[in-house]
Amino acid sequence: MELTNLLERYFTAHHCTEIDKTDEFMKVQLTEELDKTLMNRPFYWHYVKSTGAEGKPMTLTLITDHRSKGKGELIHFGSPRLQQIFSNLRKNERFTRQFQHVETNINTPLYPWLLVNFKLSYEGKQMREEMFSIGLQLVNGTMKTDMMELLEPLRLSLSIGDLCHTITPLIRIENGFARIEKLMQSYIDSQNHEWANQSLRTMKEEQDLLNHFIGSEENNEVFNKETEGIRKRYEPKIYMHIINSGIIHLQNNAI
Amino acid sequence: MQIIKDKQFISQLSEKINDPQQLSSWELFKMAYEVEKLSITTDFQGLQSLAHLPHMKFMNHQIKAAEQTIQEMNGRAILADEVGLGKTIEAGLILKEYMVRGLVRKALILVPASLVNQWVTELREKFFIPAVAYRKNYDWSQVDIMVSSIDTAKRMPHQEKIIDIDYDFLLIDEAHKLKNNKTKNYAFVQSLRKKYCLLLTATPIQNELMEIFNLVSILKPGHLGSSQSFMDRFGNKRSKLKEDTYLNKLVQKVMIRNTRNDTALNNTKRIIQTVWLDFCNTGKEAYAILEEKLAGVPHFARITYLRELCSSREACCFSLNKQQSSSNVLDALNKISDMPHHPKAEKLVEYLKGLNGEKAIVFTEYRATQIYLQWYLSKHGISSVPFRGGFKAGKKDWMRQLFKDRAQVLIATEAAGEGINLQFCHHVFNYDLPWNPMRLEQRIGRVHRYGQENDVKIYNFAIRNTIEEQIMNLLYEKIELFEKVIGDLDDILSELEIKNLDYEIKNIFTESVSAGERKIKLDNLMAVIESNAENMEKEA
Repeated sequence: MELTNLLERYFTAHHCTEIDKTDEFMKVQLTEELDKTLMNRPFYWHYVKSTGAEGKPMTLTLITDHRSKGKGELIHFGSPRLQQIFSNLRKNERFTRQFQHVETNINTPLYPWLLVNFKLSYEGKQMREEMFSIGLQLVNGTMKTDMMELLEPLRLSLSIGDLCHTITPLIRIENGFARIEKLMQSYIDSQNHEWANQSLRTMKEEQDLLNHFIGSEENNEVFNKETEGIRKRYEPKIYMHIINSGIIHLQNNAI
Repeated sequence: MQIIKDKQFISQLSEKINDPQQLSSWELFKMAYEVEKLSITTDFQGLQSLAHLPHMKFMNHQIKAAEQTIQEMNGRAILADEVGLGKTIEAGLILKEYMVRGLVRKALILVPASLVNQWVTELREKFFIPAVAYRKNYDWSQVDIMVSSIDTAKRMPHQEKIIDIDYDFLLIDEAHKLKNNKTKNYAFVQSLRKKYCLLLTATPIQNELMEIFNLVSILKPGHLGSSQSFMDRFGNKRSKLKEDTYLNKLVQKVMIRNTRNDTALNNTKRIIQTVWLDFCNTGKEAYAILEEKLAGVPHFARITYLRELCSSREACCFSLNKQQSSSNVLDALNKISDMPHHPKAEKLVEYLKGLNGEKAIVFTEYRATQIYLQWYLSKHGISSVPFRGGFKAGKKDWMRQLFKDRAQVLIATEAAGEGINLQFCHHVFNYDLPWNPMRLEQRIGRVHRYGQENDVKIYNFAIRNTIEEQIMNLLYEKIELFEKVIGDLDDILSELEIKNLDYEIKNIFTESVSAGERKIKLDNLMAVIESNAENMEKEA
């Protein structure tokens, strides 16, 4: 259900039309743009272009109930089509600039916020991830966590409304981002990192094992490769990924 | 602590923020965030995929095996559970977890030809994984989750294409067939590029240390050094495995083996019943001729005839007819054809009718008996389907489905074996008895396995005053011993350097001159197995 919803939103946001939808499947007419993104047929589009003809985007049938006997692609968490859509979202939807939509008949100032959505990955022997959504007001320096949740009830759009105007930031984006990074850093420092010690112990065990079996053979290419592999797998590290980010212009006291 | 930051981010942001062309709509921006939230691994422990598979009831050992493979083994493992504990389920769960985490997109699943369709069905129905069975002209690079037999995959031109693909996930079912590194299959599998790799087998380590070396070398190439240096160091003795802690540790690091004893499968019981029968007078006379008057027939052949007669007239006549016809043989044949219906067949019908339509599997060692039974049951209005090891994959699937949907009885010859799941049935008739009691385990394992919801009833048929009675008394009364050591039997046998228990037992029966000698030799064999089992228990 959650999935069907997500897919519908995705196709709607890309201006595709739904041809048919039941409890078992959904059939979507792709746009040219989405056909190029999803269907992996560059030669077709190249050919069509070279003949000057209008291309014909495909339709896509997604099976959402596995019991269905119909023809189409079985969609579920982890299925390749879904992974493709997810990774397209990750790749393409990284930056935005939004303006709060305000119903007003007087001049209304909108204050700039820097929004950064983070994912921290603690990686060693095992992996754990955490997400953060941080907002920093670029005039007075107010900081908010759970920014995405705070924005949820607001109406936002890519263009500024009538009678609204933006306030110029006093804090440069780069400096604002540095402040947010510092916050993340001190959050990381405040934690217990026993997982990292565990990982280092396992790393040593694995290395001992490797030494035992092939350590004695000098200049062994395999040995070096495996040692490098062990280091890569077990050396504890924290990735500070940025999922996406943007500038959001909000009315005073909007959040 | 090493913290790795995204250094390009800030300059990208400053650059793009002023170009409306490069900016996302709020809806899509939000979705990217939500999708990330759906995909993150919130805990060092645990599986995310479980939340997406609410219809599945996993057993604890299956979840644990999946967690261990992913969290501790980096997705490279030998899954070596005993038959019937759900290795397929474990593998499916692992694959699903990787897919949900976005770590696997392209997978190759190599299984015996007869199991291709079953794998596809299980992955699709249980895990919603869009697996596809290889068909002629499919493009290996286009299908993301491909299931194929290894023989198809290694043929040209497939091999060429497959070797060029970077697989995220490779699975080999029945991987014990890869233990020899001189085979083409081995070379092929080793040449595949893979991130994660599962080897499934129920008989992981049998005789030779090199087999371990070869399997581990697929998972962790080079980890054990070259095969030459390994040989020089450890020789080929299994006992090294216990002595060398490093070696032992390494094997534990790549192998998961659950046995029936440590799983919850003990919930459904096995109820074993011996059904004693007598030959009618004609039958007894025929048996006596075969036993005493077949001059010039070697002893082992005679034993074969006797066992066949205990199964069906047809099985016995079939091989007698191949014998040079002497007057004795003709005598025997005449007597046999005078026999009315076989007492076992009559008894079987009686039992089947008493099951109130519940499904049953009948195992026989002989093809002729199989055909005879099919005819005899249908004469009594009981529907049955035959099943043989030699059937092609498609036919096996079809017969299994027929049995599931239409017929009460499946009549199987020995090799019905590998991987076929018949949990929807819980009556097993051992119409005749194999030499090796472990074979019974394999038969019962088809039914008494993960997914079985009823107690399994097992009926062993035997005819009094025949070789079957001897087999029964000498071997099967010790079945408890065998049940106790099921999990360890492979290990015990290789410890004793017994390669083939069937052969060993058959030899004892055919080469002993007297019943007494037979008994002594068998007791001896059992005692050795038992004492080894005790030793192993102590060590554990």
